[in-house]
Amino acid sequence: MSTRISDELKSWIGREATYTAPEELGRAAIRYFALALGDDNPIHHDEALGQSTRHGGIIAPPTLVCETNQIFPNTPDENGYIGHSWPLPLSSSRFMRGGNEYEFHQPTRPDDRITVTWRIVDIYERDTRKSGAMIFVVSEARYTNQRGELLAVNRETNIHQP
Amino acid sequence: MKEPRTRRFEDVTVGETLPPLEFDVTLTSLVMYAGATWDFHRYHYDADFVAKLGMLAPFMDGQMAGALLARQLMQWGGADAFVRKLSYRLRGTVYAGDSIVLHGTVSGKCVEEGRTLALCTLSMTKSDGTQIVRNATAAVELGRSS
Repeated sequence: MSTRISDELKSWIGREATYTAPEELGRAAIRYFALALGDDNPIHHDEALGQSTRHGGIIAPPTLVCETNQIFPNTPDENGYIGHSWPLPLSSSRFMRGGNEYEFHQPTRPDDRITVTWRIVDIYERDTRKSGAMIFVVSEARYTNQRGELLAVNRETNIHQP
Repeated sequence: MKEPRTRRFEDVTVGETLPPLEFDVTLTSLVMYAGATWDFHRYHYDADFVAKLGMLAPFMDGQMAGALLARQLMQWGGADAFVRKLSYRLRGTVYAGDSIVLHGTVSGKCVEEGRTLALCTLSMTKSDGTQIVRNATAAVELGRSS
């Protein structure tokens, strides 16, 4: 059935890659992210308000921790991409994002220095009604802070059209 | 000092709707999100480049959809809220020039590991009716009284 998934491709399941940010997340990064989303929620920028809540200070918007391009020691590729990617032995004519499953274990804070570990959890082929046979690559990223505390888990599915 | 606006677990009713969130996706907002996430891929600003890929216009990153869903949940829940889980599948592409609206409903309430959670179901729809996200699920931890 899985004719398009070679043994070599399959061997990527379980591979891991870990990166640690060179500095703390910072208040400016939180404010920039909120601004881009039109998000004026004071919990992301008002320290006095944050201290009056159960969070005890400002917290980052939940999904910001899952955006880790700035952690990677890369320079932009020819298309401008700078983040983590798996050099999979896979020729795809088209690439799509399938979706995300996030679990947030605790809020990310301005002083957090984030480490991300990416792991490929599955690669499988499936026939889709719209586009025929597609290859699904499921990755899981775990994010921790400088104390080794788990902040979030992000399972994402990327879809490749052969 | 003004009390922070917080939605308490006790005050949430299953079936209640979250305030809809409208968002105009412009080239400017795509560039702002791309900048904020260090995502300099041409997908998000280079019209000629994406046209060669058969795309209509520069388009939104998939995680920006998640960020907007989380924004809606956090604003509804108020200052003590925290999103614990969020899961969604993307059914289409959002392009620069699209207007989208997010709708949400409280589908349940529970206490899990001592956490007071509102379970929500969310959607994201373009103004032309195209559904981008349908039945996204989320668990939002809310503050409680006492």
